[in-house]
Amino acid sequence: MQYHDHDGSHYLTYPDAARLATGDGPAALTRALAERTPGAPLALHVRLPFCRQACRFCASQRVPSRDSRQAEPYLTRLDREMVLVSRLLGRLPAVQRLHWGGGAPAFLSLDQMGDLFDRLDARFGLSGARGRDFSIEIDPREADVFTLRHLQALGFNRLSLGVQELDLRVQKAINRIQPRVLTESLVDEAERLGFHSLNLDLIVGLPLQTPRGFGETLDQVIAMTPARITLRRYAHLPERNRPQREILAEDLPDATTRLAILEAARERLDDAGYVHIGLGQFARPDDSLTLALREGRLARDLQGYTHYPPGDQLGLGVAAISRVGDTLTRNALSLADYEAALDASRLPAGAGHRLDAAERLHRDAIEALACRRELDLAELSQAHGLEASAVLADALDRLAPFCRAGMLQRHGERLRLTPDGVWGLTHLLAAFDPARSPVS
Amino acid sequence: MPDSLTGRRRSVLHETRCQTCSLSSLCLPLALEVEDMDQFDAIIRRRSPLKKGETLFRQDSPFTSVYAVRSGSLKQVTTEGSGDDQLTNFYLPSELVGLDGIDEEQYPGTVVALETTTVCEIPFDRLDQLSESLPELRGQLYRSMSKELRDDRRMMRLLSRKTADQRLASFFTSLSDRFRRRGYSPYSFRLSMSRADIGNYLGLAVETVSRILGRFQSQGLVEVSGREVHILDLESLIQVAEEEGAK
Repeated sequence: MQYHDHDGSHYLTYPDAARLATGDGPAALTRALAERTPGAPLALHVRLPFCRQACRFCASQRVPSRDSRQAEPYLTRLDREMVLVSRLLGRLPAVQRLHWGGGAPAFLSLDQMGDLFDRLDARFGLSGARGRDFSIEIDPREADVFTLRHLQALGFNRLSLGVQELDLRVQKAINRIQPRVLTESLVDEAERLGFHSLNLDLIVGLPLQTPRGFGETLDQVIAMTPARITLRRYAHLPERNRPQREILAEDLPDATTRLAILEAARERLDDAGYVHIGLGQFARPDDSLTLALREGRLARDLQGYTHYPPGDQLGLGVAAISRVGDTLTRNALSLADYEAALDASRLPAGAGHRLDAAERLHRDAIEALACRRELDLAELSQAHGLEASAVLADALDRLAPFCRAGMLQRHGERLRLTPDGVWGLTHLLAAFDPARSPVS
Repeated sequence: MPDSLTGRRRSVLHETRCQTCSLSSLCLPLALEVEDMDQFDAIIRRRSPLKKGETLFRQDSPFTSVYAVRSGSLKQVTTEGSGDDQLTNFYLPSELVGLDGIDEEQYPGTVVALETTTVCEIPFDRLDQLSESLPELRGQLYRSMSKELRDDRRMMRLLSRKTADQRLASFFTSLSDRFRRRGYSPYSFRLSMSRADIGNYLGLAVETVSRILGRFQSQGLVEVSGREVHILDLESLIQVAEEEGAK
C-alpha cells in the first residue's frame, strides 16, 4: 500500500487547528470562555518561539534570536495576553497542567523563566500539589544541569528532550550539532531531580538518514532508558517551511528507506520492551501512558497523548492553539500580528472555529481510534444523536482500503485497529479529513 | 591608620595562645591536658590576619601545614582541567584547613579568605611527631579527618540526589549546626560567602539560589537581609532538607 506523504498531522484537534485560517478568533474565544463551567480546570500551554539556531527540519513558527534579551518584548506581550484572558475567566481552580513549548523555552534566561512562571501564577494561580503536571520541551543545546535544577525549583516535573538524531552526518545536514553527552547528562540529572515520564524526541525521514545510522541512534537512546520515546516523521514541505529549503531533496531518504528505518525502529523498540501507544509515541510498560492505554483512559491534548482528562486548554503566545469546549482558536501566526493585536489590547486569536454537530462527531471518532483503538458507530450515534455511519460516510469509504489491507477490522458497527493499524494510524486518521485523500 | 592596623595585628599575635583561645574546646588541643597544651602551643606558628580575598595557599602548592581557623572564614576553590572553578569547601572557626593535602603532599585547592581571617599554622611534620607522644592529640586528629570524610559523603549525597530547595535548606541547617557547636546562635548568623559562592558550592545557578531564598522568606523559614541570616523555623527547614526527591 502506498501513501501520499502528508505533514504528519495527528489531528490533535479536529479540524486541524494549525490550518485554521478564518473566523473571528477573539469573539470565538471570548464566547467559549464565558460558557465554561465555573470551576472547571484549565490547562495552560505557553508558546515560546525563540531559537538560537535554525534547525533545517523546522516546521514551527519560530523566531531566530541570539540573545535572551530579545525575548523581553515578547514576554511583555505574553503578560498582556494573560491579563486580557484572565479577565474573561470566572473562578478558576489552581492550574494543575502547564506546558511550555514552541521553539526552545530554555532559550530564556533563568530569571526570565522565573518571571514568566511568577506572572502565570499571579494571573491564573498555579498549583503546587504533587499531582500537578508542569512540563517543558528542552533543546539540550540550550540547557545544562543548572537549567534543570532551576526548572525543578520553579515547579516543573516533566521534561521532553529534543534529540532528533545522533548520527553526526545527519546532524550536520539539519544544522543541529548535538553530541550525545549533552542529552545523557540531562537525562541523568532529570532522573536525580525526580522529573517523571521523561520523553526523548526522535525524527525519522531526515536527510542522509539510514536504517543503520538511525538504528544506532535508537540503541543509544534506549540505553538512556527514558520513560517515553517519540518518533516523529519529517515532512519535507519547503514551500511552506522556509528553513527546510536548506535541505537538499536528493539527501532525503526515499519511501523504501523511510519504511525500512521505521520497521527497524519498531522492532528495536519492541525488543527493548517499549509499548507503542500510537502515532509514534512509545512508552515503557510502567509509564502512566501505558497504564492509561490498558485501562482505556488514554486521552490526547494539544501536546499529544496524556493520561490526564484532556479538558479545556488555553494557549498563550504566538501561533498558540486553544481548545475550549467545542471551540478552537489559533493565535496570530506572525510575531508582528501577535504583537500588534496585544498592543491594541485585543486578544491575539487570528482564527476561531466552533465545531458543528458533524465535526464534533468526527472529532470523537478520531479520538476513539487514536486513544481506544476502536470506533463504535452505534455508541457514537447515541452520544451525538446523529446517524454516525451517515455522517462519517465519506470517511468510512476512505477507510475501506485499510480494512482490506488488514489495518482495520470491521465487525458490524465496530471498527477495531489491528497492530498494523496502530502502526499506520496517521494515515487512517487522515481519512476523516475531507481536505485529505490519503490513499492513492 | 597603618600604625593602628599593625598594632592590632601585633596584639592579636601576642594574645593568641591555645590556653586562652576560646576555641580550644573545639580545636585540635581539645583533649589535651594543660601541660600538654603548652607543647602543642609551641609548634604553632601565628600568622598575621588574612584580608578578605587573600590567599592562604594555592592549589598544587606543596603541603607543609594544616591550619586551624581562629576567626573569620575561608573557601576552598578547586580548578578543574577545563578551567572551571568549583567551590569545594567553606571553613569556619575551629575547623582545620589542609587535611586533604596530606596524601599527595600538595594542596588540592586554593584557599581564600572570605573576610578578615586569622589562622593558626600547624606544621604537619611537627604535629605528626607530637601526636606520637600525645595519643589524645592523635585521636583528635583522626576525629577531625573522620568528620571531614563524613561531611564530604553528606555533600556527595546532597549534590547527587537533592533538589535545589533541599540543597539550600541543607546548607542553612548545616551552617546553623556548625555555629551552634561553636557556641554561637544557631538562629542568627552572618554569611561571609556571596550568593554566587553558595550557588557554586551547591551546584546551583545564582538565579536559583536567589529564587529559593525568596521562597524561603515568603514561607517564613528564614529572613535574609544582605548577608545577615535569621532562621525563623529551623524545624521546617530541616524537614525540607531531609525530604527525598522532588515534589
